[in-house]
Amino acid sequence: MAAAPARVVLIGGLGSYYTGGVSEFEIEAKTLHDVIRGLDERCPGLGEYLVEEESTVAIDGEIHQIGYHHPVRPGCEIFFIPSIEGG
Amino acid sequence: MGDNAIMREQKLFKVVGTRPVRPDGTPKVTGLAQFGADFALPGMLWGDILRSPHAHARIRSINTAKARALPGVKAVITSADFPEQKFEYVGPERVAVNYWHMTRNVMAREKVLYEGHAVAAVAAVSKAVAAEALRLIEVDYEVLPHVIDVDEAMRPDAPLLFENMITRGIEPAPTKPSNISKRIELKLGDIEAGFAAADEIVELNFKTAPVHQGYIEPHACLARFETGGQGEIWASSQGHFVVRAYTAKLLNMNIGDVLVHPAEIGGGFGGKTVIYVEPVAAALSRKTGHPVKIMMSREDVFKATGPTSGASMTVKIGVKKDGRIVAADGLFKYQAGAFPGSPVMNGVMCGFAPYNIPNVRSVGYDVVCNRPKSAAYRAPGSPISAFAVESVMDAVAARIGMDPLKFRLMNAAKVGTPTTWGPKHAYDSYAYTVQALLDHPAYSAKLGKNQGRGVASGFWFNNGGESSATVHINEDGTVVIATGSMDIGGSRASMAIMAAETLGIDYTSVRSIVADTGSIGYTHVTGGSRVTYATGTAVVEACKKVIGELCARAAMIWDVDKGDVIWEDGCAMPAGKISGKFEPLSLKAIAAKRAVTGGPIGAEASVNAGGFAPGFASELCEVEVDPETGAVKILRFIVAQDVGRAIHPSYVEGQMQGGAVQGIGWALNEEYIYGPDGKLQNAGFLDYRIPVASDLPMIEALMVEVPNPNHPFGAKGVGEVNIVPAMAAVANAINHAIGRRLTELPMSPPKILDALNSPRRG
Repeated sequence: MAAAPARVVLIGGLGSYYTGGVSEFEIEAKTLHDVIRGLDERCPGLGEYLVEEESTVAIDGEIHQIGYHHPVRPGCEIFFIPSIEGG
Repeated sequence: MGDNAIMREQKLFKVVGTRPVRPDGTPKVTGLAQFGADFALPGMLWGDILRSPHAHARIRSINTAKARALPGVKAVITSADFPEQKFEYVGPERVAVNYWHMTRNVMAREKVLYEGHAVAAVAAVSKAVAAEALRLIEVDYEVLPHVIDVDEAMRPDAPLLFENMITRGIEPAPTKPSNISKRIELKLGDIEAGFAAADEIVELNFKTAPVHQGYIEPHACLARFETGGQGEIWASSQGHFVVRAYTAKLLNMNIGDVLVHPAEIGGGFGGKTVIYVEPVAAALSRKTGHPVKIMMSREDVFKATGPTSGASMTVKIGVKKDGRIVAADGLFKYQAGAFPGSPVMNGVMCGFAPYNIPNVRSVGYDVVCNRPKSAAYRAPGSPISAFAVESVMDAVAARIGMDPLKFRLMNAAKVGTPTTWGPKHAYDSYAYTVQALLDHPAYSAKLGKNQGRGVASGFWFNNGGESSATVHINEDGTVVIATGSMDIGGSRASMAIMAAETLGIDYTSVRSIVADTGSIGYTHVTGGSRVTYATGTAVVEACKKVIGELCARAAMIWDVDKGDVIWEDGCAMPAGKISGKFEPLSLKAIAAKRAVTGGPIGAEASVNAGGFAPGFASELCEVEVDPETGAVKILRFIVAQDVGRAIHPSYVEGQMQGGAVQGIGWALNEEYIYGPDGKLQNAGFLDYRIPVASDLPMIEALMVEVPNPNHPFGAKGVGEVNIVPAMAAVANAINHAIGRRLTELPMSPPKILDALNSPRRG
């Protein structure tokens, strides 16, 4: 049986130019690099956009700057959110 | 751990959690430390900037002929000396940079958009000649109507700062321009159904005054640029890599052609993550071939650098009688200042974040107006929305007759609680901060006449990201660690502590420095409460690499396999099949044989640190209100904050106390006062009243230690969340004392007296 895909959500209209307004995806992935490649296959240009925008990503609630290496467990929740900057 | 900490997990360390003296302490108190204004070079010229006397005007022409003809003047520049920038938002949406805006903020082009906006600059042989030259520059202005208040700036008939600004974030896009740069909306659940199920609903309107970060050191820099070539800058900032990138961009240079030396910094609080004088000094230096120094005055700082937003807000919360919150709705309108980019999105995301609310809507507006462009200020955006949300939380608790801390505890977000911005919370330390106040004897202490007690809470994301560090073992076995993080709150000491702990050596053996942009890898700003977390991780990683190298050198000395050498208590030890066969080799002994084992020993590590845990804080304030004068005296203030693990407890406590004090100033006194002409009337610390030591009790810092497993020692960001609850804690205490809820900041004596003369309300 195939592993459960990750639920991937873009919030705040992130990347809507590439997604046509779709904000939620299911992608089979072992790393965040796989997720970004999967998004790019479905919405060409989106992967590069997310990397160039330096978006922040929450993987099962843990917030990171985007990095290809982050592991993705089966069935996990991934939210791409506008980046965080403080004072 | 710290002496005043509540621990949630115990782990013994030798150096982490101790309180050694900071390495920059003596130079700072003896005057030896060099801040931005302290640098000088042979042949140096003095730069000065002509600033707009108008809040809003079109520049018809600028005549610099008389200024250029003045003896001693070496150059005069205007916006024409800076290349035009493309109009585009670059980088993450929440903090997007638009260099078209940035170059206009550094030097006005078509219009001046606020009093103090830079219009032209000169370089001359003395300060006096530079000042005289500014008086000789003739600017022909067409004065335009201005707008400052956020609600007025949003009106359809408001004077427009940009005649072609169409609001982003609205579908379909509006057809008419306005001062509204952006609209944001985040939703969770069914807001209408949530309020329909509520037994009680409280809705209040709020206004907050724009306030300045109030750093003691005005912006200053020295620039030395070759005509058409490379250049160097000495400046105080919260990030010399950002100064390098922005300056290079505005001067159309390669990043590698600009070298920035970090000066000591006299406070920043977010306000020194942007640039003002650096590209101007660089352009003047490039034009004259001389080093050029520019120092802002305090008046310049108030009139021309980024304060945080003033805001207008409406917050509505619905609850069941048992105290469960069923719905919340927030409308947050933030001043961006003269160019788009207020921290409203942070406010929208953070306001309701401490709570488990099934149905939430947060709407935000970013609105331009004729004030300096807003800049980051300690948890930017979050204290503003928290003032509104936490005031309403207090009113709701009173409405249903529930203790305000128990009300918060009942609704506290936990692991798995959804947020309005999507992900579920991964940490549940918020409740511990509330419990810490509930357990404190002050919470049940008796109050006197005209006294009141208030509590409030707050959330801030914290940050991680890119940082670099190097470790070098000196010939005598002492250690130098260098990072790219400007030291504002004692980070050099914290880095030395983490290095000493990792290497197993004494704190006094480690010298901790901040390296220039040519001597260390890219490191993001000292902001977002990120340095101890991200740069600390880089330091530990670099130390681990050095330990690997030290073990390899020991293996070479012993002529054994390096896999049989381990590092313990600052020494290489034989292990495995050679266990006990050799005496341990200290770091000093290995350093002494560095040459014969391969040369100098060092390592560099660069990280993009993720997994940064957010910060939660809850605060308790006790006040006494003078019914005759309206003056509010702070009697007691307690900050209970989740600090992860305090690496240097004294500096963690300092952050907590500093954030609370800035919040108290925001609550009670600080505000920009504008005349009807749009000119700032209190551009100095005499009239812009920040709290001083005699205004305050000792702020009690209650460190709640819930370590972050993603950091080598459990650290979390500690610099910002402490300001978030403060204004609401003060407002709630005043409400408790006088039975009147103040909804406009600052709650200065005239407003208190007005409230006292009005009927009591919730």
